[in-house]
Amino acid sequence: MTYALYIASVVGAAALLLMMPRPGYNPRFLGGLLGAATLGGLWLYLSREMPYETGLARSAMACYYIFSAIAIGSAVRVITHTRPVYSALWFVMVVLASSGLFLTLNAEFMAFAMVIIYGGAILVTYVFVIMLAAQAGDADAADSPEYDRVAREPLMAVAVGFLLLAALLSVAFNPNAIVPNPAARGLTDEQIISGDGAILPNRLDAALAGKLAGSANGISTEELAPTRQLHNVERVGLDLFRNHPLGLELAGVILLVSLVGAVVIARKRVDEPGDPPASTTGNA
Amino acid sequence: MTDPLHSLTLAHYLFTGAVLFVLGVIGFISRRNLIIMFLCTEMMFQGVAVTLVAFSRYHQNDTGQTFVIFLLTIAAAEAALALGLVVLLFRRRRTLDAQAWGEMKG
Repeated sequence: MTYALYIASVVGAAALLLMMPRPGYNPRFLGGLLGAATLGGLWLYLSREMPYETGLARSAMACYYIFSAIAIGSAVRVITHTRPVYSALWFVMVVLASSGLFLTLNAEFMAFAMVIIYGGAILVTYVFVIMLAAQAGDADAADSPEYDRVAREPLMAVAVGFLLLAALLSVAFNPNAIVPNPAARGLTDEQIISGDGAILPNRLDAALAGKLAGSANGISTEELAPTRQLHNVERVGLDLFRNHPLGLELAGVILLVSLVGAVVIARKRVDEPGDPPASTTGNA
Repeated sequence: MTDPLHSLTLAHYLFTGAVLFVLGVIGFISRRNLIIMFLCTEMMFQGVAVTLVAFSRYHQNDTGQTFVIFLLTIAAAEAALALGLVVLLFRRRRTLDAQAWGEMKG
């Protein structure tokens, strides 16, 4: 079991090493084929003895394999592509695929937040900076600059990375690990709703109002009975605002500080005619 | 465990998260472009987020997903500051090569 993990780590490392950008002949296709074969073989082998059942629907299985393969393949392209803009676009694929993984985990809010914040905000910032930093003279150059085309110490990086991966996986797949007691699960929806000082979602009130109004119209009250099932968004929201209010405030402070910090760091001082002649580079 | 290929387990997601994290580490070490290096830290965040949400689903505990919200906050703050620094460094040397700053000691 663990030997298969170690062998797969070594073969995967070799595949990634073949795909690393380097001068001269680049056996990228061969490396991609080898990596895909390693991933598929590892999945086929490991799926027989994966520990920790989640009880997710079978239909999520195909989605998991598709999204996971897209995520891993795109991640490889992020670190092997020689053009920064394409790396950023492949990273958008990583974000979208991991959002798909979140959907298979019934974490809808995190999936959409991931797409909006990562794909919509952070990646746009990255693409802006890539465009800002592109040298004007290199715009019509045939290839990207040398520091993008040649990896630094690819052998050592891949060796360190896959050693870490082998260690992580041998822990994650340890058949002797202490399996958590399934009875000691988290809160159910009823427990969250009936908690002390519970804020009932508006949906319940609306359903109650509909029930009251519907009884006059001859609609049976059973089908309008308020549901006691919380959505993922409501569960996460209640957990966030009930259990972590201080963290929420601190997150706001961190965002404000980084906003001010980014403005201070990246500003460009423009020399006005009346100013005393300071340094010509003019950075704070 | 009994039905091969027909049960989705926590370990599947731990595997994907670990691979994403490790690919981020490899990219951070081996790439020389400053922007791509910070992009690789974002990829490590992705791997951690997948792991956290998978644990959250497995234990039916929403704090895992709440933590991903804070992780997103830190990622956004880090991206803003890091990219500001990259722009500053680029203005100094007119290059994004991390090796251009290789003589910095201490």
